[in-house]
Amino acid sequence: MKLFVSEGNPHCLKAVAALEVTGVNCEVQYVCHQERAVPFFDHPVLPAMLLSSGMYLFGSNAICQYLFEERRKESNQLCIQWLEWEATELQPALLQALHMAVLQGKGSEVSKVLQGPLKHLDQSLIKGNTAYLTGETVSVADVVLWAALYPFLSDSSLGLGEQKSVKTWFDRGAAMHGFQSAAQKVLQGKGLQGMKSYMQMQPAPQSSQCRDTQPCKS
Amino acid sequence: MALRELSSLEKFLGSNKPNKYRTQGDKKVPVLQNNKGRPVVGLVTIACHLAKEAKRPELVGDSAESRAVVQQWLEHRITKVDGCKKEDIKTILKDLDHYLQDKVYLAGNQFTLADIFMYYGIHPLIVDLVIQEKEQCVNVTRWFNHIQHYPGVRHHLPHIAILRNSIYSSRQH
Repeated sequence: MKLFVSEGNPHCLKAVAALEVTGVNCEVQYVCHQERAVPFFDHPVLPAMLLSSGMYLFGSNAICQYLFEERRKESNQLCIQWLEWEATELQPALLQALHMAVLQGKGSEVSKVLQGPLKHLDQSLIKGNTAYLTGETVSVADVVLWAALYPFLSDSSLGLGEQKSVKTWFDRGAAMHGFQSAAQKVLQGKGLQGMKSYMQMQPAPQSSQCRDTQPCKS
Repeated sequence: MALRELSSLEKFLGSNKPNKYRTQGDKKVPVLQNNKGRPVVGLVTIACHLAKEAKRPELVGDSAESRAVVQQWLEHRITKVDGCKKEDIKTILKDLDHYLQDKVYLAGNQFTLADIFMYYGIHPLIVDLVIQEKEQCVNVTRWFNHIQHYPGVRHHLPHIAILRNSIYSSRQH
């Protein structure tokens, strides 16, 4: 089993965090952003994981899910629901926020873009009333969302600390040794700026995504 | 679109009474009203839920590895295939074609939800291909044809005629 990641790639932070938190034994190879680690893709896709059967996993959430299943138990319905929400609702907003904060120097405007998803997360945590997203123990959903939000929520200058339940939940993750070590490895303690070289290679977010994630001005 | 897919999945699973759905938000995310507990939200989540309710866990994958592969292709479908731009279609089909070169199904040798939902998702892309383009992705068209003939899958979608690969067609000349 081998995990391919690149420094400063926010999706790789998820995979390395899941590896550290689960403690699964797996070789990690750091490659450049342009590395074509998955043989059936003509373009770079990271993170990627080569399984012992020879199959490749190329989705960061699927890699995290696999690592959790190796160690613990099958992802339940609530985990799958959070992973789907992360991929379809949170990621487009995060991509836009990263673009603004890392490349355009508009960190102060990030809270507008992330307001909607953070509010949803906050309300779900209040409603669920558990320490973690899917219950009283850490699940793959927590690790994926912690890692996805880490660059923003660990930066107090962005003013994203309004939602108390999100903050309490996030601080639980940020305090975990495995998580800190993953953040140090992938972002080198540079926070948002650690992702600059990665972001410079990404296409600008589509304008339709910008529309979707901005609050209505009615 | 999502609701029609879920209704087709229900028929495939042989459920007797259809579930009640609504959609939420601008993206029309499907929501299954579950009288037993909290609502089930999202196409992938509902599909996995229905497969488990129907006691068909193998459709979600029967090992940690196949479950991850199934989830990965389901996520690929809803994040990359859905709403893809015209210039991305070629890449999507080419990637899938390379991947399917040595596989019968997306999760290897077992038919899963990944096949059903990738089939639904790329149907609109395959409809628009001309014969030469279909010949450029023989593995996709072979897999596509296999899935559209898989008992009980096609339902709401029209059948697409897939020519045999170029070896056969050249023999006819």
